Amino acid sequence: MYGATEADRQDLFQEIVIQLWRSYPSFRGASRFSTWLYRIALNTAISDLRKQRRYITAMDPDLLPTQLQDIQYSTEKEEQLQQLYAAINRLTEVEKALTMLYLEDKPYHEMEEILGIPQNNLRVKMNRIKEKLRKMTKEAAYGIR
Amino acid sequence: MELDNLKTIWKEQKIPAGDDQHDAEMLVSLLQERSRGPIERMRRNTRKESLLMLVTYIPTIAIYLIMFQGRLWGISLVMAVILVFYRVYYYLKLRLLKKMQCVSCEVRSNLARQIDVLGKYVRFYYWSSTILLLSALILAYEILRYSYREVHPRPTPVWWFQPGFLLVLLGPFALAAWYFNRKYVNKLYGRHIKKLKQLLLEMDEV
Repeated sequence: MYGATEADRQDLFQEIVIQLWRSYPSFRGASRFSTWLYRIALNTAISDLRKQRRYITAMDPDLLPTQLQDIQYSTEKEEQLQQLYAAINRLTEVEKALTMLYLEDKPYHEMEEILGIPQNNLRVKMNRIKEKLRKMTKEAAYGIR
Repeated sequence: MELDNLKTIWKEQKIPAGDDQHDAEMLVSLLQERSRGPIERMRRNTRKESLLMLVTYIPTIAIYLIMFQGRLWGISLVMAVILVFYRVYYYLKLRLLKKMQCVSCEVRSNLARQIDVLGKYVRFYYWSSTILLLSALILAYEILRYSYREVHPRPTPVWWFQPGFLLVLLGPFALAAWYFNRKYVNKLYGRHIKKLKQLLLEMDEV
């Protein structure tokens, strides 16, 4: 979800691994391990001060995670999936973080612990994101940009 | 396709088990690389600058102190003062950079911390470079004046002559330094601060 190109994603992955390695000695178990892990990953991805590269908004099969590419879908379904990925790629960093946590099936209280946003706000934001994605995929399906 | 459909597919994914040895090798190779994060790079560059300054300034101070029968000790003094100033400057800069990020904190509080510390860092960077530049110029001027007075002793015409001369000489320079420093600092960090503020605003809005 983060990083416009494969090279960007590789860089980000490496940075997250380094940050996890460095921060591990300070992990005291005050929160769940997964909460701690997501905090580090998202902090590294969101507040990255590096020069922002242009987002790829076109339907790019490379945007699909490798595992999803390996699964055989009908052409129509695959196209829809690609549209959805392209739409997710156009979301803001915060929206992407929420979407990722939602896809990972994180409950709202854990999302709150990771992001520091109150649960009520998270629910409102999540509904807006769903609506936004719905609108974007519909626009892409009808060729509206 | 709805996001909920993607969630279903996401859950259904069977991530193939990787080769443990290969994964371990990959992780080791990743960890052997240096962090390319911007804050880490800033810290590395600051340390390099600080070391370079020590390596170049100390021998130069020694050369001016020992050679020329010690007549140019004033230059050594100016350089030593600048070196001390810069040591303090690098120390404070590194301290701020260390405080800038807390990757294991909540994303929102980490963003707020970055905005706060980066703001302090920018103000510190901006004022310290302006002050250091002007201090070095004033010191150099005073040494030149002192050396000239030794060769051509002449009484100062009026009390305000020296401060006035200094003001006329340094005034435009100070203004230019202030303007360009501000522009440079804004170019370096302005966009990042703006981006971080936007992210925080987005997190806070309902």
